[in-house]
Order: sequence, then C-alpha cells, then structure tokens
Amino acid sequence: MNQENKTFYEISKEKYIIAGVNVGMILRKGGVIETQAQKYRADFEGYPQIVLGIDDETLTRHGATIPQLSLLEHEYMWTGAEFSEQLLNFDGFMLHASAVVYENKAYLFSAPSGTGKSTHTSVWQKTFGEDKTFILNDDKPVIRVIDGEIFAFGTPWSGKTDRNENVGVPLQGICFVERCETNWIEPMSPKDAIQRILDQTIRPKDVQNMTKLLELLENVLTKVKVHTLHCNMENEAAIVAYNGMNK
Amino acid sequence: MKIKKDFMLRNVAGYYVVVPVGDGALNFNGVINLNESGAFLWKTMENDVTEADMVAALLGEYDVDEDRAKADVAAFVKKVSEANLVEE
Repeated sequence: MNQENKTFYEISKEKYIIAGVNVGMILRKGGVIETQAQKYRADFEGYPQIVLGIDDETLTRHGATIPQLSLLEHEYMWTGAEFSEQLLNFDGFMLHASAVVYENKAYLFSAPSGTGKSTHTSVWQKTFGEDKTFILNDDKPVIRVIDGEIFAFGTPWSGKTDRNENVGVPLQGICFVERCETNWIEPMSPKDAIQRILDQTIRPKDVQNMTKLLELLENVLTKVKVHTLHCNMENEAAIVAYNGMNK
Repeated sequence: MKIKKDFMLRNVAGYYVVVPVGDGALNFNGVINLNESGAFLWKTMENDVTEADMVAALLGEYDVDEDRAKADVAAFVKKVSEANLVEE
C-alpha cells in the first residue's frame, strides 16, 4: 500500500446527472472521479436512480488484485464498473472506446488499450476541425437506448484525461480499430461484434444482468453498424472511417 | 454429464453465444459461438444427460440418421469437455 492510502479523505456527497440518469455519489474529495464528475453535478427532485459509494475497507479488498493502484484510483475504477452494471437497469452500458462527435453524431472507436483509439479521434479533430468536432469521452462513453433510439453519452470515466462532455448525442457507428499501413474499413458481422463488444466492456457477473446486457446488445446491433477500421495516423484515416460509417 | 452452471446460452441478433457468469467469469473471459444444432445440444446438456439421451434428442429434432447423430454428439461432447465446460 502506498502513502496515499493512509490519508484521511473528506467525503463529498453530491447529486449528478450522468447519461441522463440521476446519480448520487458519495466520494473522496479531490479524488479522480470526484474531480472529473464536477461538470455532471446537477440538482434533481427525489431519490437518485443510482447510488454509488464504497468504504475504505471494502474498496481496499476490491483493489487487492492490483495493489499498485492508489485508493483513489481504485475508487475511480470501482465506481465506473458499478455505474456500468447499474446502468443496465436504464438500458445503458459503458464501452471502452474513444468517442468523437461531428455533425451532431457520435462515432465510437474501440480497441484494447494501446491500439490508438485516442490517436484516431485526434485525427478526426485535425481533419474535420477542432471547432466542428469534440471528444465526447476518451475512454468509457455510455451507449444507451432511449425511446428506441441509440445515444452515446459522455461520462466522467474518461481515463487519465479530462476529455469528456456532459451531453448525449445520437450514435452513428462503432469501429474496432486495428493499426495498418493503409486505411480501409470493413463491416463486422454481428457474431464478431458481440464478441468484440463483450471484450471491451465490463461484464456483469450475475445471470440477470448478463441477460440484460445481451438483450441490450441485440437492440443496439439492429440499429447501429459495427465496422473494423484498419488505419494509420494520416488524415485519410478519418475520411475513410467517416465515409464507411455513413454508407 | 451436465454443463457447468456458470455459463449461459443466449440468442443474440440471430447468433447463439455462450458467456460465463458467476465464478465461470473468473476462469474464462471469452465468448463461445454455437450454431443452431450446437445450441440444441448445449440445451440438452443443461440437464444431467447421457450421450444416448442426447442422440435420441437430436434424432427427435433433426432429420439425420443415427450414425451421423452419434458422431455429432460425440464430437460436441468432446469439444465441451476439452474446453472444461462440463461438471466433474
């Protein structure tokens, strides 16, 4: 355990609206999540729909598998996982992806860490203009079904950067990114898409929530196209992705 | 023979997938894809059955001859056993 874990943290107990859901969070003040969630603070009537908070002892036990992380980093991870699981009750889940918005549509780029998700969405910003695009979330955007439409939302769980916005935007498409010398895009079969999405999301451990997630995936896959994007870091990569996802 | 309870079979967008739940998720983090007859055999193995029971079930559901059914069941059982999906 490092020094940080021995510090006593002041507690913040605030209301937030995240991905359109009323959330109450009891957090350690100054922690990663408490800091990044500031712009999601909002008032609402009545009880929160989701409540998140965890005591030091339970959190330390939870984090025991990755002891090199601080208590605050564990809190960030735990709240993210818990939010994603509880969000299933509101037809939503978090995908490990970088999400960019252009022309009021969200484009999600997912891949294992280190593949170049954020690099690719940066290429979009460079190609289509910093003033015409923005990063909705750089690590874990929410995908949520509302009245039959699929939306992507920013969340405070945006990784080490604060690149996230508190808005929901219609989801145009999802791409799994693979590095390649040339730029090309191909449709992914629903069969592969199910597998790839499950690999890049926090999987519920119980049958009931897993059932909800799979039903949600089925719904999303009937409305949103999934592609594999093979790309380099040139502007052409963004254009190929944009054209492929708007066919 | 019985499939471990820590796995669930679902049809998602027309595809049969098996995903681990509970303790199963600790040791296995993949997704198993099954075709329709594979899913049918999987379902029979959610109860405690013998290979003969499975052959009978397959013959009742599909238009196949007995030799083929026996071979298919044996191949399926071998696969799920090797993947460590069957209860001890």
